[in-house]
Amino acid sequence: MNYGLTEDQQAVLSELERLIAGTAPDGHTEPEFAPYCEALDQELAQSGFLDIAREDGFGPLDAALVVECLARAPQIVEAAASALVGPALGLPVGLRPVALVEHDPLKPARFLPRAGVLLADLGDRVLQVTVDPDRVVPVDSLFAYPYGRLETLDGLETKDVADVATLRRRWRTALAAEAAGCMAGALALVVEHVKDRRAFGRPLGAFQAIQHRLAMAAETVESCKWLAFRAAWSDSEADAALAAAFAQKRIPQFAFDLHQFSGAMGLTLEFSLHLWTYRLRALSGELGGAAAQARQAALATWPEAAA
Amino acid sequence: MNDSIDRFRATARAWLEANVPAETAPRDGPEARAFTLRWQAKQAEGGWAGIAWPEDVGGRGLSVLEQIVWFEEYVRAGAPSVLSPSFVGLNHAGPTLIACGSPEQKARHLPEILRGEVLWCQGFSEPGSGSDLGSLRCRATVDGDELVVEGQKTWSSWADIGDWQELLVRSDPEARTSKALSWVIMPMDAPGITVRPIETMAGPATFSEVFYDDVRVSLDNVVGGLNNGWATAMSTLGFERGTAALALLIECVHQVDTLLADCSPRLPMLRARLAGLRAEGRSVLAMNYRFALESENAVPDASGSMIRLAFAEFAQKVSAAAVELYGIDAAQTLGERGWGYEYLHAFSETIAGGTAEIQRNIIGERVLGLPRPPR
Ligand SMILES: Cc1cc2nc3c(=O)[nH]c(=O)nc-3n(C[C@H](O)[C@H](O)[C@H](O)COP(=O)(O)OP(=O)(O)OC[C@H]3O[C@@H](n4cnc5c(N)ncnc54)[C@H](O)[C@@H]3O)c2cc1C
Repeated sequence: MNYGLTEDQQAVLSELERLIAGTAPDGHTEPEFAPYCEALDQELAQSGFLDIAREDGFGPLDAALVVECLARAPQIVEAAASALVGPALGLPVGLRPVALVEHDPLKPARFLPRAGVLLADLGDRVLQVTVDPDRVVPVDSLFAYPYGRLETLDGLETKDVADVATLRRRWRTALAAEAAGCMAGALALVVEHVKDRRAFGRPLGAFQAIQHRLAMAAETVESCKWLAFRAAWSDSEADAALAAAFAQKRIPQFAFDLHQFSGAMGLTLEFSLHLWTYRLRALSGELGGAAAQARQAALATWPEAAA
Repeated sequence: MNDSIDRFRATARAWLEANVPAETAPRDGPEARAFTLRWQAKQAEGGWAGIAWPEDVGGRGLSVLEQIVWFEEYVRAGAPSVLSPSFVGLNHAGPTLIACGSPEQKARHLPEILRGEVLWCQGFSEPGSGSDLGSLRCRATVDGDELVVEGQKTWSSWADIGDWQELLVRSDPEARTSKALSWVIMPMDAPGITVRPIETMAGPATFSEVFYDDVRVSLDNVVGGLNNGWATAMSTLGFERGTAALALLIECVHQVDTLLADCSPRLPMLRARLAGLRAEGRSVLAMNYRFALESENAVPDASGSMIRLAFAEFAQKVSAAAVELYGIDAAQTLGERGWGYEYLHAFSETIAGGTAEIQRNIIGERVLGLPRPPR
């Protein structure tokens, strides 16, 4: 794996950053609990960024770069599953947003209220459900995503897909890349905050207690990011599980620290930190959380010893 | 001694079993106010308000030990959380008035607090002054026998439903902090006060911004002396740090037992984590009991910061473990009553009432006697 971006990748990311900037909410809109950015979603659907893994000369690594970059933005859109999972399972171009759920297709899934398709990991196979938005019941959630669930599959178009391993592998990579981006977005906000806000006659960022933990947070962001990119590049089961496990394990401390240094302000909706930390929390619980991912990484790396 | 404590416990248990409200407490707004006052009034009628408060202000004048037993039974009975709109009156403003108030101020306010007739809120923090409380700028000017207040406070919990506020203002613009502030009893319906609730990521809007535009209040409402507000405010910080959180701690320790009971043996790592939390909870509880009992007849020492900090971090770990146990989409997690709310709310544990870093600074400097950092 080459650790520098190619010219093509740089071009893709700067164009993507332009799209993101163009749909950024202006500072004067009412603070919102769990906004979904329709404008960015539509731009993404039209521009083809989420199909990058399907294009000649590009692949899952490029998709992971796109996912990480999008997650740094405060705008919330479904991108990770569309960019990394959909293409690998052969979903037709444009069939999105993609909702993912484990075990039971009737469980609440994030993005389902807006999804075009639901992919349910049923253990031995994947059930692909074409979603009729009218059939989705919104579910209350505290995690800044639109959650929803289906009450029944009756009357919905479903299809079995055999390749459950691919779904899980790409799901793990997708969540690791999205988590890395959310962490980077959140950290950038808080670093600015502690430079600006003053206490005891100096900027908060001058206190070493704060510097040290933000330095640890920066290390978490970097390591999560490169593990996620590595998983996308190798597209291997072991790397994907490792990247997801690592990100999920780091999330709780990371989120607490960033809120801690933002003080009471960071708990209000007027300060946008929650837009990333809600997402991080939701991601940290996916696919059974860090311990399940770590076990999977061990199993993929040392299958005999684990058996 | 033990006999009388046992009797006290049995009576408390019986009363709580018969009287704890069946409905859950609303989190904010007028419903929260009505519910809290009703429950406090009921406790007062039953003789359970102000257990360790002096008798001359309507308390029972009992010992801290009895207060602890009451909290234990309170939690056991599943009574409404003490972190409610009555918290400031019972645990902060009340004790401050007991310590520093004039006889008139005590007589006027303390019985009302105990009887559940009024709610108090705290107006200390400002947009530019949180941890560095001494830098606060909300101004009060003496005009005849009145103070005129101008400025802003923020993050004032339940200010939108409060009757009175313990307000810290700068009454001498020149002097050093320790001689410049005043602690004032502010009626929340005074002309010129505007309250704007702030929404938080945990959902309910429980704290507010408060604006003071030419608000007049009698000098009789100053507690502990004009320009002596810093000492007045500090007189009860140790209390807040050490004792006020005891009921919350007992509740949190209980919750770990419930989580352990719900955690299947097929999740050995989570079980081990919860068992570790159980040990942690018991250790904090032991520290807290020691502190509360020892500070009965003495000014609480700085080690209250250790308890406050240990409890805050413990509570955060418990709610994070709960969300992990049940899953982010489970019924136990979602909704206003779910662990998801607790988890999000727990972020404030290490911020409100003195941040974790400030508590660590205090432990470093005042408990360990380490040198202060260069200024
Ligand atoms: C739920 C909740 C309820 C509240 N209720 C009330 C209320 O009723 N009334 C009221 O007056 N206030 C209330 N507050 C405000 C509370 O008192 C402040 O949030 C607190 O004092 C911290 O101030 P801040 O939020 O401005 O954080 P800041 O002071 O901006 O601190 C930000 C970060 O910098 C760190 N920091 C600051 N100084 C140092 C240092 N010297 N060394 C190392 N680190 C440092 C802090 O620890 C923190 O992590 C409430 C807050 C919350 C969260």
